[in-house]
Amino acid sequence: MATLVIAEHDNAALAAATLNTVAAAQAIGGDIHVLVAGQQCAAVAEAAAKIAGVSKVLVADDAAYGHLLAENVAPLIAGLAQGYSHVLAPASTNGKNYLPRVAALLDVEQISEIVAVESPDTFKRPIYAGNAIATVQSSAPIKVISVRATAFDPVAGEGGSAAIEGVSGTGDAGTSSFVGEEIARSDRPELTSARVVISGGRGMQSGDNFKLLYALADKLGAAVGASRAAVDAGFAANDMQVGQTGKIVAPDLYVAVGISGAIQHLAGMKDSKVIVAINKDPEAPIFQVADYGLEADLLEALPELERGMG
Amino acid sequence: MTERETPMKILISLKRVVDYNVKVRVKPDQSGVDLANVKMSMNPFCEIAVEEAVRLKERGIASEIVAVSVGPAAAQEQLRTALALGADRAILVETDEELGSLAVAKLLKAVVDKEQPQLVITGKQAIDSDNNQTGQMLAALTGYAQGTFASKVEQAGDKLKVTREIDGGLQTLELSLPAIVTTDLRLNEPRYASLPNIMKAKKKPLETVKPADLGVSVASTLKVLKVEAPAERQAGIKVGSVAELVEKLKSEAKVI
Amino acid sequence: MWHYQAPLRDMRFVIEEWLAAPADWQGMPAFESLDGELAAQVIEEAARFASGVLAPLNAPGDRQGCRFENGRVTTPDGFPAAYRAFVEGGWAALACAPEDGGQGLPQLLNAALLEMIYSTNHAWAMYPGIAHGAYECLRAHGTPELRERYLADIVSGEILPTMCLTEPQAGSDVGLLRSRAEPAADGGYRLSGSKLFASGGEHDLTGNILHLVLARLPDAPPGSRGISLFLVPKLLPDGRRNAVRCDGIEHKLGIRGSATCTLSFEHAEGWLLGEPHKGLAAMFVMMNSARLHVGLQGLGHAEAAWQNAAQYAAERRQMRAVRRPPGRAEAPADPIHYHPAMRRVLLELRTLTEGMRALGYWTAHLLDEAEQGADPARRARAQGRAMLLTPLVKAFFTEQGFRLASAALQVFGGYGYVQEYAIEQTLRDSRIAMIYEGSNEIQANDLLLRKVLGDGGAVLRDLLEEFRAEAEVAAICPDCAAFAATLAHYCDCLTTAAEGLAAATTQDPERPYRAAGDFLRLLGLVALAFAWLRSARLAAGRGGDPFYAGKLESAAFFFAYLLPEADHRLALIEASRQPLPFLPE
Repeated sequence: MATLVIAEHDNAALAAATLNTVAAAQAIGGDIHVLVAGQQCAAVAEAAAKIAGVSKVLVADDAAYGHLLAENVAPLIAGLAQGYSHVLAPASTNGKNYLPRVAALLDVEQISEIVAVESPDTFKRPIYAGNAIATVQSSAPIKVISVRATAFDPVAGEGGSAAIEGVSGTGDAGTSSFVGEEIARSDRPELTSARVVISGGRGMQSGDNFKLLYALADKLGAAVGASRAAVDAGFAANDMQVGQTGKIVAPDLYVAVGISGAIQHLAGMKDSKVIVAINKDPEAPIFQVADYGLEADLLEALPELERGMG
Repeated sequence: MTERETPMKILISLKRVVDYNVKVRVKPDQSGVDLANVKMSMNPFCEIAVEEAVRLKERGIASEIVAVSVGPAAAQEQLRTALALGADRAILVETDEELGSLAVAKLLKAVVDKEQPQLVITGKQAIDSDNNQTGQMLAALTGYAQGTFASKVEQAGDKLKVTREIDGGLQTLELSLPAIVTTDLRLNEPRYASLPNIMKAKKKPLETVKPADLGVSVASTLKVLKVEAPAERQAGIKVGSVAELVEKLKSEAKVI
Repeated sequence: MWHYQAPLRDMRFVIEEWLAAPADWQGMPAFESLDGELAAQVIEEAARFASGVLAPLNAPGDRQGCRFENGRVTTPDGFPAAYRAFVEGGWAALACAPEDGGQGLPQLLNAALLEMIYSTNHAWAMYPGIAHGAYECLRAHGTPELRERYLADIVSGEILPTMCLTEPQAGSDVGLLRSRAEPAADGGYRLSGSKLFASGGEHDLTGNILHLVLARLPDAPPGSRGISLFLVPKLLPDGRRNAVRCDGIEHKLGIRGSATCTLSFEHAEGWLLGEPHKGLAAMFVMMNSARLHVGLQGLGHAEAAWQNAAQYAAERRQMRAVRRPPGRAEAPADPIHYHPAMRRVLLELRTLTEGMRALGYWTAHLLDEAEQGADPARRARAQGRAMLLTPLVKAFFTEQGFRLASAALQVFGGYGYVQEYAIEQTLRDSRIAMIYEGSNEIQANDLLLRKVLGDGGAVLRDLLEEFRAEAEVAAICPDCAAFAATLAHYCDCLTTAAEGLAAATTQDPERPYRAAGDFLRLLGLVALAFAWLRSARLAAGRGGDPFYAGKLESAAFFFAYLLPEADHRLALIEASRQPLPFLPE
């Protein structure tokens, strides 16, 4: 039994999601090899060789693999996959793009975005936007799996010393070409689609203090929201309102700062996956729905939190 | 670059799923989610696919739109909706089995072989199974180029320029035709079907075929052992300091 | 956030099973090509429109309201665009005849469309609100020239019509109105006078507005026999602005996004619709569909109130319940819908809303049968029943709509009284429907005096025959036998009450007027018993499906908890023997 993990990278550096994916591979057990497909990606291969628990790194260095175009990398991966029981890739937009193509070339069904490994052939994955968790068992000869990185603790990126081996595939399929890329949009994400939302309430004391929230939001790539009380007090614009009459949000992380937690506000954010409340008042109802509560002076806690995120 | 001389034929593939607004509940016996009397609709990403095809036709880039769905007889409702929105005809590959993405892709491949479209547009994922596989698998089976998670589709001579939503930004690719595009949310805002078009859709052709007619085996290697409700939120804790909060968010909640 | 999901499952149940309308359509040449599947698709798309376009404008439109400046009215943000989308979607022409550019669909489907529109945005709905009635009126009474000029534009939605009836001294009593119309040399008329409470009398949704105005000709006899109906456009065919002026808009309790206008006509140019002095008869064409539509406003509000109260009650946790549903663990505080008091209210909301849907759609279906049915005898019978049910639907539904909005508000507790949970808007918006389009008191008089006593009870007997026939069929079904016997009993009580009132009238002509309100409510309850008996019969034996299990539960709840009010109404009809004292002058 051996697992091939497809590395996530930008040809210069290995992305952290690779470490989480290797962790999933460890949970499955057996030998772990990592494939680095890219262009002038030697540095990535060296980084991959240091990952704890990886015994071999395969490098396919070819201009055709520079942007991980699915048409080009899928045949490469499918060709290599024959020697493995499992092929894992992070459920990044890259992995989601090429992996099903790999599975179809292998004529096997794919298991998408697993969040837990029950056994080498049984996995848990969310369905219905996370409203249900399915446990699925695969009898496919090669198990092609994408991994939700946040669900697995990353393995150490140091300490390993895997052998690096060059491989080659069929190269450019000639059906697609890379035109351009626009990374890191400078604007803040939209409230309703942001992965992290930081909201301020009347406890922020002034609109000026909202800049503390923006500074923290910039660190986290978060959107900034507000309670109705903060909007009514003129601290924040109307379109920032989260709650019954404002926007309904359900981010991975919701940080409520100086928000008491009126039911109208809770209605707009209670489906968030993790809720953090920071408030001076120990009796604030927001603490009853928060996963993590911190009683603190906001004006002191916010800069400290921002530094802590660094 | 030269403009394509003949407008192309587009195949749109769509899925009947639980309506976006329905909050699903897991069945007590953990055999799945409870779908009795639940409102079913067209998968939202597939609505975007229909809209994009209709817009391409309105711009003269497409000549014919064929809507296809793999699903139960009731999926005719969603195909009728596609016809009301502007598709010219529809094909239902009728099956009562809940098929996996690979089986669906194989059935679609058989339809593609028959219809020979220049472009296939489908939703990036269905909001029930959340697989995000079918378009890519169909691309593999047909050997076509793929433009997944598209937020913009433009014609560029005899090629297609597709802007894709990727982690942290946008990527633009040029695809040879025929090609397969899967839609992301920002590609367009689907229109509402007008009443006259609903009435007209009734008269548009809707053909039904069975997987066996297409010579496709739909056997699966995946077995769903159980379906559970996600763990309920546990009672929260108070942390003593900012440092502790950061530590918990990183190591316990793993959200930063 | 105010949420709305169209009750498509129940709508299909009413249309396809309770009414079995698709089978009837097969017998109506105009609807031959319509089947249940197409009807369902029409309703589903209408639902998308209502919840996607209209619902988001409801609360903001209420807060913003209309603005009046220099004779112009600006409607809330988004209202004109929503109207354009409505018209472009073809919804305005749903039930208009194909030869006039309409879709030729039944009133029944229009009723479903309207219910959803009223649930999602009553204020907005006021603008196209009388378009269909005006279309029917113009079609029936307009000269070929007027029809040629305006019919297509009304159907397409290019022009919105208004109804100009009320004057400061002439409210319910239109006979008191004073607006004048003088014949002009060009064959038309010049209208002068002041009109109040004209919904959509001025707005920015369409370029032109067509006013249907009641006024007196110079030789008119006094009272309601001297009133004629005129067509007065805001913009004349040659593009000139007509002498119609908006003097202001009302500041109202509810439907604040609807412009309720005061209009002045100063020798405004117009044309006669129908015969001189027969304006009320001409207008009557629109009145029936308009009253049904107002009744559907009550249904729409009840549905919205039910949905939102149900959702809130499932989420709000307060106090520990005496009992919990099987399998639910104890918690420090339970969702309030476990508490019996809240279950009572919620079941009442659900049961009355669904029962009214069956009755309201039935009335619309009867109008279709009356107009499009193949058999003249069945057409006449349907017409009679629809005429009898119309004042009932108008008054009973709107009263329930307001009462249920209030009951739903109670579920929200203090949050119901604040603006963020828009149930307070439903309460305010729903109130007007009890007043306009003939107050509910006028409806009660119309029902008892004209529709029941006026024909010696013939149509009522026919209606009760239908109820009794249902009771006979249902009596065979074990799940329904008790309900069937109860319905038959109240049919007898109703007959006795009607006969008693008829007999008392010669001795005490005021008696039916004192009993009219209670008689209307009694008939409403008995009609609901009929609706629930039929629903229970259709659901019997299908309790494995939660939808039908819910129907059986609701029927049992109705007969046990709600129908006993009929005894109270019977007692009050008895009580109406006692004269009412006059109040000090």
